[in-house]
Amino acid sequence: MVKLQINGKTVEAREGEMLLAVIQRMGIDVPTQCHHEAIEPTGNCRLCMVEITKKNWDGWKKSVTSCLYPVEEGLIVETHNDKLFEIRKTILDLQLARSPHSDYVTKMAAEYGLEKSSYPAEPQGDDCIMCYACTRICDVLGKSAIAPTMRGHEKIIAGPFGEAPPDCIGCLSCAHICPTDHIKWNDKGNTRKIWDKKFKLIKCKKCGKKTITREFADYLIEKRELPSEYFDTCDVCKRKETAEKMGELVIKAREATI
Amino acid sequence: MIIDSNKIQKVIDDSPQDKKQLIMILQNIQQEFHYLPKESIGLVSEYLGMPQSTVYSAATFYKSFSLVPRGENIIKVCKGTACHIKGADLIIDQLDAGIGIKPGQTTKDMKYTIEVVNCVGACAMAPVMIVNDKYFGEVKCNRATKLAKTG
Repeated sequence: MVKLQINGKTVEAREGEMLLAVIQRMGIDVPTQCHHEAIEPTGNCRLCMVEITKKNWDGWKKSVTSCLYPVEEGLIVETHNDKLFEIRKTILDLQLARSPHSDYVTKMAAEYGLEKSSYPAEPQGDDCIMCYACTRICDVLGKSAIAPTMRGHEKIIAGPFGEAPPDCIGCLSCAHICPTDHIKWNDKGNTRKIWDKKFKLIKCKKCGKKTITREFADYLIEKRELPSEYFDTCDVCKRKETAEKMGELVIKAREATI
Repeated sequence: MIIDSNKIQKVIDDSPQDKKQLIMILQNIQQEFHYLPKESIGLVSEYLGMPQSTVYSAATFYKSFSLVPRGENIIKVCKGTACHIKGADLIIDQLDAGIGIKPGQTTKDMKYTIEVVNCVGACAMAPVMIVNDKYFGEVKCNRATKLAKTG
């Protein structure tokens, strides 16, 4: 265990843990955009910046991204002060110029007293804030269907050649993790459309409810070594089936004891 | 321009099958065909067991890779601050008149491609023009076309 001080309070943390995890556990509200428990931290949004110092640092302070900074013995952390407020405000100011139509960015910027960006706003700016949450979750899934392409101001998240990504299985992980809801998808009838790619949805054999895409099911069956008919029924029907089976067993057991 | 995918496969097969060698393989392909044909992305990803998106991401990140066909001779005109002041625009105009293409374009016979680069680190020699890795300093605009053609 490591002992450190956050906002004047002494706390204990596990070795190797990141500062942000400790801060969040204490219930301190540090803004984040690109952080998610399911993916590796990369420090892309830089909103989780905190100021750290140590007793023997002679009052010298350092601003670090708390999501990437492992806890250290005797660390003195400050999560909110004027300097950090300015850092966060500047980041949101720039984001507001990039994505002026995003509700997510607008709301967050408003908390820092920003109504309009002080930089020239991009009128055609999209809602993508380049947090890479989507590409990281796709990597976690083992597909890496999408990736950042081009560089600099031209950079976008897309499949190869800006076309429908050949490795995409339509699992919607990227769309669900996207903080700004930039990744659009829709389910129409039996087809799902995401990244300009169309997928067929599986229908539950019992209740007819649409579940997941055929490609996603096949991938899970292969990866998790599930029986090939595993996704023929939906989770609700599967639970019902198990309950019925259990019921039968209970009745049988009772009959046997009588 | 149609490129035989067997030819690309041959270049790939001659390279080590190691994920670390991605850039090198892409460079080998580019050296052979002067650009990265569309099929090559898929072939490289298959060969290295890498997702296509990662290969494409690397290919688009580096400016030295081109995904559009380029000519046999690549003419780079530096338009950094020093070269710009020393008349890089005049060189570009002269090349346009002499070869008939603008920066970023390729001649129809696939012989020349003109590119504008930002700084080649040879500001003392401004204006600088590079023809197929050969550097020319203090280029006079009336000689630009000749230099580009003779190399």
